[in-house]
Amino acid sequence: MNAPSPTLLAAKDFKSDTKPVWCPGCGDYGVLTLLTRALADLALRPENVAVVSGIGCSSRMPAYMNCYGFHGVHGRALAVATGLKVARPDLTVIATGGDGDGYSIGGNHFIHACRRNVDLTYIVMDNHVYGMTKGQSSPTTEPDWDNALMPGGTGVRPFQPLVIALASGANFVARAFSGDITGTAEIVAQAIKAPGFAFVEIMSPCVTFRPEQREWKELARPSPVPPTDDPARAARRLMTDDGFNIGVLYTGNRKPYQPATGQERKPLNALAQGFAL
Amino acid sequence: MSAVDTAIPTPKKSPLDVVIAPRTENEELISGSEAIAHAVRLANVDVITAYPIRPYDTVMQYVSKMIADGDFDCEFIVAESEHSQFEIVKHASAVGARVFAGSSGVGWFYAFEALAVTAGLRLPMVAMVGNRALDDPGAFGVEHNDALAVRDLGWMLCWVSTAQEALDTALIAYRVAEDPRIFLPCAISCDGAFLTHSQSIVKVPSQAMVDSFLPRYDRGDKRLHPDNPITIAPQVNEDWLMEMRRQSDEAARRASDVLIEAYRDFNAKFGRGGEPFIERYMMDDAEVALVGMGTMAMPVKVAVRKMREQGKKVGFVRVRWFRPFPTRELQDALADVHAVGVIDRDFSFGSAFFSGVLANELRSALYPAKKKNQPKILSFIAGLGGREVSTGNVMKMTKTVFDAANGVGTDAQDTYWIGARE
Repeated sequence: MNAPSPTLLAAKDFKSDTKPVWCPGCGDYGVLTLLTRALADLALRPENVAVVSGIGCSSRMPAYMNCYGFHGVHGRALAVATGLKVARPDLTVIATGGDGDGYSIGGNHFIHACRRNVDLTYIVMDNHVYGMTKGQSSPTTEPDWDNALMPGGTGVRPFQPLVIALASGANFVARAFSGDITGTAEIVAQAIKAPGFAFVEIMSPCVTFRPEQREWKELARPSPVPPTDDPARAARRLMTDDGFNIGVLYTGNRKPYQPATGQERKPLNALAQGFAL
Repeated sequence: MSAVDTAIPTPKKSPLDVVIAPRTENEELISGSEAIAHAVRLANVDVITAYPIRPYDTVMQYVSKMIADGDFDCEFIVAESEHSQFEIVKHASAVGARVFAGSSGVGWFYAFEALAVTAGLRLPMVAMVGNRALDDPGAFGVEHNDALAVRDLGWMLCWVSTAQEALDTALIAYRVAEDPRIFLPCAISCDGAFLTHSQSIVKVPSQAMVDSFLPRYDRGDKRLHPDNPITIAPQVNEDWLMEMRRQSDEAARRASDVLIEAYRDFNAKFGRGGEPFIERYMMDDAEVALVGMGTMAMPVKVAVRKMREQGKKVGFVRVRWFRPFPTRELQDALADVHAVGVIDRDFSFGSAFFSGVLANELRSALYPAKKKNQPKILSFIAGLGGREVSTGNVMKMTKTVFDAANGVGTDAQDTYWIGARE
C-alpha cells in the first residue's frame, strides 16, 4: 500500500480516453467503473498502480485505464504480475482477466500464484464463456450448456475457482458481482489492501453469448455470514455454496512472499574466486 | 470429371427420362476454414483437439458443427491450452489414430514444445495454421512467421492460395504424412482472413472418391501391442540422437518423391491438383519473375496480366510447398529469367541481406546454378500484419526487378520494404 496522496483523485482520473469495445450490456463496463472507483477510494495515484492482463475481452482492461498497463500473452497475467511486483514492490499490482485466460490456459499460474502468495490482487471477470473468440465453452461453463459450438454441453465438470484458490493458499478469497458497483468496489479495495495474494472472482455477464446471465442480477445476494479466517470453515461454506453468495469468504494471515530485491548479496567475483583453477 | 465414384450407382434414367451424370462432387460456397473442416471430415479423422484463437478458430467451429449435425463422428476435445491441444493429438497419433489440430500465431508458438517433438517422434500429425502475426503488440492480420518457425524441425510445410487448394492439399497431406516411407507431420498454412474467412466456390468430393485416394493410417510395427511392447520417446542422448536426426533427414529427402506420387494420383482421380511444388504463371517467355506464397497470388496474377497487356515479359512463380523446399523445380522455373523479385509476407531480422525467409532460401537454392544463368534476386517485404498487397505494389516491385535485370540502380542483394510508412 502506498501512502495517501495530498491531492485525491476521482474514479474518472483512472480511466483512459480509449473507448471500450465491449458489447453493450457487458459486465466488464461495471468492473472498469468499480475498479477505478476502488483505486480512487484508496487514494492511490496512477503512477503507483500497474494493471496487468492476458488475452480476452476482460483482458482489455489496462487499455481503458489511466495507470501503468501491461497487456501480456494469453494466460500469463499472473506470471507478468509476479515479475513486476518482485522487481517493483512499491507498486500496487493488479492482474485482471477472464475465466478462459485465468482458469484454462493460465490455470497452472493461478494455482502457483496462490501458493507463492506474492502481494498481488487478481480480479477474474467470470462469464463462463470464451467471448472474444465467439462463444466457446470455458472451464467454468456449466457441463450441460447447450449451444451451437458444443451441442448438448461439454459434460465436463466446471472449474471451481474459489475452492482452488482456498486450497492453494490464497490469502484473501472473495466473490462479487459486476452489477453491484458499490459493494464490489469495496470488496476490491479490501483485496488491494490485504497482504499477500488476493483473489476476487467477479461474476460479469456476457449478454452476447450467454444472454441468460442477465438473470444474475436477480440471483446474486450478499452472503449471510461474515468473512472467516478459518480455512476449514470457508471450505465447508463452499461445499454448500450455490455460486451466487456475494462477499468476502476468507481472509488469511499467511506471510506474503518477500522479494529479495535490495538485499545485500555476496559479490559475484568473490564467488568466482572459489572456483578458480 | 475423370473420377468415377463406384459407391454411387449411376442412374440410367430419371423419372423424367433425363440422363443424370454421376455427381461425385458438390459445389459449395465456403470459406478456406470450412474447406479444411470438410477435408478433415472426408479424411475421417479419429481425434481432433481444439483451443480457440482467431483466425484458426473458424475451423474448430465448422468441425464441431459437422459433429453436431451428425455428419462426422470423431473424438473432439477442447483442450485447456494449445500446449495440451497438440500434446493430446500427438499421442493419439503415436498409438495409431489419424489426428488433426490447428492454431494461429502465438497459439502455435505456445504449442511449440509439442510441435518440435511431434516431428522428432516421426508422428504424421496434420495441422492447419491460420497465419497470424505474432503479438505483442496485439495483431490479428496475416504474417507467415508463425508457420515458418517449424521449418527446420522435420515438419512438411505448405501454403495454399484458395479454399479449393486448402481442401485438396489437406487430403494430400494425410496421404504423404502417413506414408510409412515418410511419417512426418505436415502443416497447411492458410493466410488469416484472406483465406480463412473468404468464401469461394469449392468442389467438395464424395466420401468414396476420397477413400479411393487416401488409405487408412497404419502405424505398422510401431503399434502398441502385447506381443510387441515398445516405449515411445525413451531417453537416448548422444548414444542415438544423431542417427535419429539422420533418419528424419532421410524421410524429408524422400518426401519430394512421395509428394509427386500423391499429386499424380490426385490429378488422375480428381482432375485437378496441378504441379506439386510450384505454380508457374505466365512464365513461358518471362524475362523477370516474381515469387511468393499464399493468397498474395491473386493481386500478383492480376498485376502480371495487366503488365503482360503492356508488353512487359513478367511471370509469377507461386511456391506451394516450403518443406520439402522445391529446389530443383525453382532452378528449372527460373533458369531463363534475368532477375527475380521474391515477395515475403514474413521477416527475418538480421538475416543475410536482411531479406525475407523465402528470399534467402531461394538465393541458397539458386546458388549452385551455372553462373550465366544466375538471376539477380531481390527481396521484398510486403503485406505484414495483414496489410493488403495491392496490384500497385506489385507493379512497383516489378519495375524494380526490371531495373535490376537491366543493371539500373539496384544491387542483386537489396531488400525493399513495400507499403510501409516511412
